[in-house]
Amino acid sequence: MSPRRAIAATLAAAAAVATLPWLTSDFALSLALTCVMYAGLTVSWSMFSGVTNYLSLATAAFFGIGAYVTAWGLGTLPYALLVPTGGLVAAAFAALFGAAVLHLRGAYFAVITFGLGELVRHAITYFEKTYAHTVGRVIVDVPGSTAVFLTVLAVSAAAVVTALAVRASRFGLALAGIGSDEARAETLGVGARRTKVAGFALSAFFAGALGAAMAVRWTYIEPNSVFNPFIGFQTVLISMVGGAATIAGPLAASVVFSLLTEFLRLQFPYLFLMLLGALLIALVLYLPGGLASLAPAVRAWLARRAAGDARG
Amino acid sequence: MAETVVAATDVTVRFGGLVAVDHVSLEVARGELLGIIGPNGAGKTTFFHALSGVVRPTSGRLVVAGDDLTGRPAHVFARHGVARTFQTPRVFRDMTAEANVRFGLEFAGRGRPAGRDAFADARSILDFLGIGAAAGVPAGELTPARQRLLEIGMALGARPRVLLLDEVAAGLTEAEVESTAALIRRVRDELGIAVVWIEHAVRVLMRFVERVVVLHQGRKLADGTPGAVAADRDVVEAYLGEAVI
Ligand SMILES: Nc1ncnc2c1ncn2[C@@H]1O[C@H](COP(=O)(O)OP(=O)(O)OP(=O)(O)O)[C@@H](O)[C@H]1O
Ligand SMILES: [Mg+2]
Repeated sequence: MSPRRAIAATLAAAAAVATLPWLTSDFALSLALTCVMYAGLTVSWSMFSGVTNYLSLATAAFFGIGAYVTAWGLGTLPYALLVPTGGLVAAAFAALFGAAVLHLRGAYFAVITFGLGELVRHAITYFEKTYAHTVGRVIVDVPGSTAVFLTVLAVSAAAVVTALAVRASRFGLALAGIGSDEARAETLGVGARRTKVAGFALSAFFAGALGAAMAVRWTYIEPNSVFNPFIGFQTVLISMVGGAATIAGPLAASVVFSLLTEFLRLQFPYLFLMLLGALLIALVLYLPGGLASLAPAVRAWLARRAAGDARG
Repeated sequence: MAETVVAATDVTVRFGGLVAVDHVSLEVARGELLGIIGPNGAGKTTFFHALSGVVRPTSGRLVVAGDDLTGRPAHVFARHGVARTFQTPRVFRDMTAEANVRFGLEFAGRGRPAGRDAFADARSILDFLGIGAAAGVPAGELTPARQRLLEIGMALGARPRVLLLDEVAAGLTEAEVESTAALIRRVRDELGIAVVWIEHAVRVLMRFVERVVVLHQGRKLADGTPGAVAADRDVVEAYLGEAVI
């Protein structure tokens, strides 16, 4: 699909999903919200980490920073303004941090980005205790669930559109070159450092904006809940299960995974994490390219069926 | 005098206690076809690393087209017109051959003139190299010999002033070495870019280049026309032996 058509399809799909608040129950809507949030988180994560192989575990940090922008700003600034602000603060933070650590690769980069989440969490806990004399913040005067859903949907749709545009751009080619052979890309004129910092910050923008948008879902915000490392791991896992080198893979996996998690949690409240773990191991072992690697087989099957239909 | 595209002055590269390149100076003129020879471990590849900014020299100066680039990163060298291949081909394996060439065109080569229509875009560069039929094939699936050609294409996409070729003819049959040499000469003749070519196939190299530099244990042992270098007693003793004469 050409980038233009893919973007048009994304917008059409987002418009269709936007009708959900008027069609479904509260329960289904909150489930859909989780799906849409992970779609945005995983697609923006893959945009940088999936393409460059710089495996970042900092999603929780950016998400948490965005959430705290809302926690601190709600009541002063309108919600619609806090969401992009949360994104910008997270992006600025990612740019500074990225400039310092993006020369590290592999496990070193993963570990240090994980450390970043912990660092920010403790820094905010300390700051709140010392200067605000509080552990958490009660959020009042929150927007309704429809407004939250539509906002999260808008951010996630923007993430997908951005990922599509980046992939088709010169910037995307530079990121792909860095993922394939960074030193070689340098010898062909790519300023790898600046490109990586820009990609990392762009990816962080969406995690931050989603954190800012989701914050109002909690009535009580404290560092331990919004800097939840689980969000970071879940983002990486879903992206990999979907196929982190693609856009459609993480998107599809977000929906499947969020629904599956919910189903398992309700059906097997005690066993669900174990089942989830087993499923992940099986996927990683037998489908290392992620769900996206099934696409050619599915296409071939559809083509065969279409041919069969035409004959019959 | 012809314009100098690259000037290395007293370049030294150390790896811990090992001096891989030892006070080497070299000026490459515009449109020159220069060969570098020397035994294994002489420091030829390391010298290329220094010339292309991949390795920062321990001491010495590097001037490209009049700008002092000493200590700058590799992409700055590339944007100033230094393009290279690697001894072990380093192509973007998952990208098609065409995308590999386009990569150079999009970054280092962006905004620089093509020189000739035969090098106008990725496709014509691949055609020039005789691998146009492989345009849509992922680079990782090409044979090593073709990956070497593709690397020349990636470098040409960068629209260089000087092209550094590190053993692009290694592992080829004699006939293939000949045709690669002819190709390299055409690149120089048609585009007027300087070519510095490292090769162990001394006999062929000597016939195609106008000037030869001999490196030995990191030092420059000789620098002159192929005839003069082949007759140089130090060179014969240290390296060539009976290989040429
Ligand atoms: N990254 C490195 N770290 C340490 N030593 C190195 C490194 N790269 C090269 N060397 C050493 O520097 C010396 C010069 O190596 P170099 O690869 O430049 O030689 P060369 O002339 O290209 O040899 P060949 O003809 O085998 O390709 C060798 O002794 C080599 O072992
Ligand atoms: Mg070498």
